[in-house]
Amino acid sequence: MVMQAIRNYLKSLFLLEMLKGLLLTNRYLFKRKITVQYPEEKTPQSNRFRGLHALRRYPNGEERCIACKLCEAVCPAVAITIESEMRADGSRRTTRYDIDLAKCIYCGFCEESCPVDSIVMTRIFEYHGEKKEDLIMTKQRLLEVGDRNEAQIAADRAQDARYR
Amino acid sequence: MTDDGITIEVNGKSLPARKGQMLIEVTDANGIYVPRFCYHKKLTVAANCRMCLVEVEKAPKPVPACATPVMNGMKVFTRSPLAVEAQKSVMEFLLINHPLDCPICDQGGECELQDLAMGYGRDVSRYQERKRVVGDRDIGPLVQTEMTRCIHCTRCVRFGEEIAGLRELGATGRGEHTLIGTYVEKAMESELSGNVIDLCPVGALTSKPFRFSARTWEMRQMSGIAPHDGIGSNLHFHVKGQTVKRVVPAENESINEVWLSDRDRFSYEGLYSDDRLSTPMVKQGEEWREVDWMTAFEVIKDRLGLILNAGGPERIGALAAPTSTTEELYLLQKLMRGLGSNNIDHRLRQTDFGDDTEAPIFPWLGQSIVELEQLDAALLIGGNVRKQQPLLNHRLRKAAGKGAAIMAVNPVDYEFNYPLAARIVAGPGQIPAALAGIVQALLEAGRTLPDPSAAALLNGIQADANHRAIADRLLKAGKAAVLLGDLAMNLPGLPAVRYLSGIIAAMTGARFGYAGTAANGSGAWLAGAVPHRLPGGQPSPHAGLNARAMLERRLSAYVLLNVEPEFDCHDPVGARNALGGAQCVIAITAYRTSAMNFYADVLLPAAIYAENEGSFINVEGREQRFGAAVRPQGEARPAWKILRVLGESFCPGAFNLDDIEAVHAAIHADMQGIEPRNLDAWLRPDSLPWVNGALQRLTEVPIYSGDPLVRRARSLQRTHDAGDGMAHIAPGDAGRQGITNGDRILLKQGGETAELPAVIDARLPEGTLLLQAGNPACFGLGPETGEIEIGRA
Amino acid sequence: MSGNNGQILDAHTVAEIEHWLGKYPPEQRQSAVLAALRAAQHQNHGYLTVEVMDAVAEYLGMPRIAVYEVATFYSMFETKPAGRHSISVCTNISCMLNGADDLVAYIEGKLGIKTGESTSDGRIHLKREEECLAACCGGPMLMVDHVYHENLTKAKIDRILEQLD
Repeated sequence: MVMQAIRNYLKSLFLLEMLKGLLLTNRYLFKRKITVQYPEEKTPQSNRFRGLHALRRYPNGEERCIACKLCEAVCPAVAITIESEMRADGSRRTTRYDIDLAKCIYCGFCEESCPVDSIVMTRIFEYHGEKKEDLIMTKQRLLEVGDRNEAQIAADRAQDARYR
Repeated sequence: MTDDGITIEVNGKSLPARKGQMLIEVTDANGIYVPRFCYHKKLTVAANCRMCLVEVEKAPKPVPACATPVMNGMKVFTRSPLAVEAQKSVMEFLLINHPLDCPICDQGGECELQDLAMGYGRDVSRYQERKRVVGDRDIGPLVQTEMTRCIHCTRCVRFGEEIAGLRELGATGRGEHTLIGTYVEKAMESELSGNVIDLCPVGALTSKPFRFSARTWEMRQMSGIAPHDGIGSNLHFHVKGQTVKRVVPAENESINEVWLSDRDRFSYEGLYSDDRLSTPMVKQGEEWREVDWMTAFEVIKDRLGLILNAGGPERIGALAAPTSTTEELYLLQKLMRGLGSNNIDHRLRQTDFGDDTEAPIFPWLGQSIVELEQLDAALLIGGNVRKQQPLLNHRLRKAAGKGAAIMAVNPVDYEFNYPLAARIVAGPGQIPAALAGIVQALLEAGRTLPDPSAAALLNGIQADANHRAIADRLLKAGKAAVLLGDLAMNLPGLPAVRYLSGIIAAMTGARFGYAGTAANGSGAWLAGAVPHRLPGGQPSPHAGLNARAMLERRLSAYVLLNVEPEFDCHDPVGARNALGGAQCVIAITAYRTSAMNFYADVLLPAAIYAENEGSFINVEGREQRFGAAVRPQGEARPAWKILRVLGESFCPGAFNLDDIEAVHAAIHADMQGIEPRNLDAWLRPDSLPWVNGALQRLTEVPIYSGDPLVRRARSLQRTHDAGDGMAHIAPGDAGRQGITNGDRILLKQGGETAELPAVIDARLPEGTLLLQAGNPACFGLGPETGEIEIGRA
Repeated sequence: MSGNNGQILDAHTVAEIEHWLGKYPPEQRQSAVLAALRAAQHQNHGYLTVEVMDAVAEYLGMPRIAVYEVATFYSMFETKPAGRHSISVCTNISCMLNGADDLVAYIEGKLGIKTGESTSDGRIHLKREEECLAACCGGPMLMVDHVYHENLTKAKIDRILEQLD
C-alpha cells in the first residue's frame, strides 16, 4: 500500500504521464503527414465512387435511358420518379426522370440495376442547393452532368469492366 | 357423375378427378402449379409449347399435362427430377430465339415467360447463334405487335377461331420460319380483338394505347363495371397515381367469363379527352364564366325558381343518359318529382311510346346470360348483337356451336360470326309484317293465337319459306328465346313489333327478352327514370312527358344528365332547337361541347366511369356496385352528389342522403319484391304500320358512338367499326338513281338537306337508307327514322 | 370480295378443284386445299399471289389466313414470283451422303443464284429446300418440274440444265 503511494507520488512529481504524451506528439511530428488540405488538396477517389448521378448518352448522342424503370423500382429511398411514353420514332423514352437528392442514400442500386448503363454515379460530391428544388435532379440536369463528365464516367466503367 | 369419378395421385397426394379431364385441369383445380404457355382453360388444347411436361409412372418419357387424360390410379410427379429437367430443357429451347428486351417490353413484370424463366431458365444461354428477328406488321390501332418475342403458343390463333369466330391471325411458314400474323397487312376487325393481349403469354401482342406508358408494378388494380353494353362486364382498372392506364377483364363466369369487348377495354381513353369539363360554369349573357360550386347551385336555384313560379313544374324536363348509374337516375327522378314534374326519360332514341303503359317493369333479357348458351333456338329481332353486345353474342355463338338455330329479323343483314339458321331482312317499316308472317306460319303449324283479336292484324299476310323455317325451328326447340334488340326498340311502330314478338314467344313457348345495349337501361326503369313509372316500377299517378315529347313541346327548362343531345337523341336538330330556345338548360356532364356552349346555361362537371361510384343493373337484372378507382378530375364530382345538393336546395329535408349507401338503401326500399317479367300485357295495335313505297331512313349507332365516353376513345375511333360517315344505299335503290360508290348524294328529309358520300351496301333491303348516328354531316337532317329522299349532289 | 372467282381462277383450275372436291365429304371442302392451291399455282405461272390464295379461300369457304398458312407451310408452293422451271435438289440423308451438297453448290455457281432464288431471265427457280423425294436408291437426285433425275453427276446436271428452255 505504502509503496504504491510513493510510486504514484514520484510519477506525478516528475510529470511522467505528460512526458509520455509529448513523446507520442514528438513521434508524429516527424512522421509523414496525412491531413488533406481540403479544398486545395483532395483525397484520391475510387473509380467506384458513388457521387452525384448522371444520365449517359451513346456516342451518337442518343440518350441511353429506355424508361425500363428498374432503378425506380429498386431505389430503397424512393428517390426516383420516372414517366415514360412512346417517342415519335417508336422507341421507349422517359418524359420525366427526377432524382430527389434529399432522399437519395447513394447506395448505387440504380446504377447496378440499369440494363443499359444509363444512370450512373459520378465522382462529383461537391454540390449544393440554395432551395429545396435545387436538389431535384431533372432529366435535363442529369444528362448535362453526364455530358460534361462522359470521359471520366466511361474511363471509370472501363476500368471496372472485368469485375462487373 | 359418380361413375366417372376417379382418383389420381399427384406428387404423392390423392386427388379426385373425372374421366376425360386433362391432367392440368386436375392439378389446377387442386392448386398444384404446372408451368404452361399454350394451355388456356377457355381454349382448345394445342400441346405445342411442351412446357407442362410432367412425369407419369410407367410412361416411357415425360408427358404434357395439358394433353394427357387422367386415368384411375395414375401416379404423376410434377416436380420430380425428370419432370423438372424436361421443363428446364423446354425453357432453354424457348429462350433460344426470345430476345432479351424485357426492360423495354410492356409485358415485363406480368410476363409468363419471364416468370417461368426465373424458375426454369439458365443464367446464361448455351447458344451462340444469332437470334431470329421478325418484322412487325400493323394489325390495327388496338393491338401492338412485336413478333420477335413470339413463342408460337398459338393462343391468339385459337382465340380467333374458337372465341372471336373470325380467324385473323395464323401461323404461316414452318419450322424456324413460323410467323404468327395476318400474312397480309390488315387491321384486326374482331370486336373482341383486345383479348389476345391478355392471352399472349409474352410481350408479342400488347396494348397499343397503353404502350410504354407505365410498368405493371407501378399500377394499382381497382375493380369496376363496364359502362357500355348492358352486360356489365367485370373489369379491373390499372391505375397509376390518379390516372387509369389500362383496363383488363376481371373473371366472372356468369357474365363475361374471362373476356372483355374492345369497347370496354379501350373506352378509358375517353376519360382523358381534351374537352373534359373541370369546373362548374355559368353562362352570363354570351359569356361563360367559371364559378365555384356554391355559386353554380345558387344560379340554378334562381333560374329554375323563376320558371317554377312563371310556368309551373311541368315546364321543366329532365333527359338522362341510360349510361348513368342507378343512384344518379334515382336522384334525378326524385328531384324532378320533388319539383312536381314527371317529365323525365332516358329513352332518348325511342320514337314510338304508344305502348308505354304495357311495358314491363324493366326490359329484361328473359333469362340469365349463362342460359343463352343452353338455348336450342333464338330469334333476334332488330339488333346487331355481334357488334353491340359481343359477349352476349359469344354465348349465342356457343349455343350455335352446339347446334342451336340462331335466327334474325333485321333491317340490315348484319354479319354474324356463326351461321344463321334463317334470316329475314326487312326495311324498318316491314319488320312488323315480317313478324306477322312468322305468326301466320305458326298458325299454319297448328298453333293458336293467345290473343284471338290478333287475327285482324294478319289479314293479307302470307307466310313464306323463311317465315316457316323460323317458326319451325322455334317450335322444335326445347329452349327457345325471342330477343328484341335496340334497333327494334327505336323503330316507329314499336308497339306492333313488341306485340307480335310477344305473340311469337307465347305461341312457341319461347322466352321473350330484351337485348338492350345501354349500360343501365334496366336500372333506369327500376329507378323511375321514365315519365309514367315511379321507382320500383310503380305506375305514376300523373304521367309526364317522354323524351320525344319533352323536346317537341319546347319546355322552358331542361336538366341533362350525361347527355349530348346532338348525338344521343332521336332528333338531333329538334333537340338542339328545343334546348336552344329554352330559358334554362342545366347540363350535368363530364364534357363540354361546342353545342353545349350554344344551348346550356349552367354546366356542372360530373365524374364518369372510373371516377364515379354507384351501381348498374344489367340486362339479366343483376345489380353490380362499383366504387371510384381514381379521383374525379378538377372540380368534378359524382353526379349523385350534385343531384343530392340540387335536391336539397329545392326540397329541403327530402334529400337527407349522406353517402352512396343511403341512396342505395333508398332505392332498394322501393325495389322490394320485384320479379323480372316480360310477358305482362300487350297493347294490340289497331293495324300493322303501313308503309308506302318511299325510301325509309334507318339510323344505326356505330358501336363506338353510343355514349360520350366511348365517342372520345381515340384508338377505338380509328378502328374498322367506328362508322364510316357514309350514306349506305341498297343496290337496287342506287341502281335506279344511277349512284355508284363514292358519289356525293343529296339527302332531303323534312325540308332539310345534307350532302354525304354514298356507299352501296348489299346488306340493306330495297327502300332503306342507312345513316350512322353521330355523323356531323347529318345533324341538319332531323329524326333518325322516317321518309327520306335522295338525289345526286 | 365476291365475284372475283370468275376472273382469278380459270375454268381449268375450277374443274381441277371440283375433281378433288368430289373425293371428300361435301361438308369438308377444306380438304381440297392442297389440290386447289396446286392447280391455282399452275395457272398462275408457278407461284401464288395473295389474290389467288384469296380466291381459293373463297371457293372452298375457308378463312383466308388458313389458306395462307397452308401455302406458306408446304415447300411445293411458292408465294413469290419464281422461274418457269423449278429445280429442287434433294439434300436429305441418302442424297447428302452421296454428295448432294456439292451438287447444290455446283448448280448455284453455274446459275449464279442461291437456293430460293430465280435466274434473272426467269428461266429457272432453285428451290430453297426439298424434303426427301423417296428416290434414295438413285441418290443424289433432283427434280425438275415434276420429273426425277437420279444418279446425278456434274455432267448430267449440265445436260439437264441445257435442255430447259
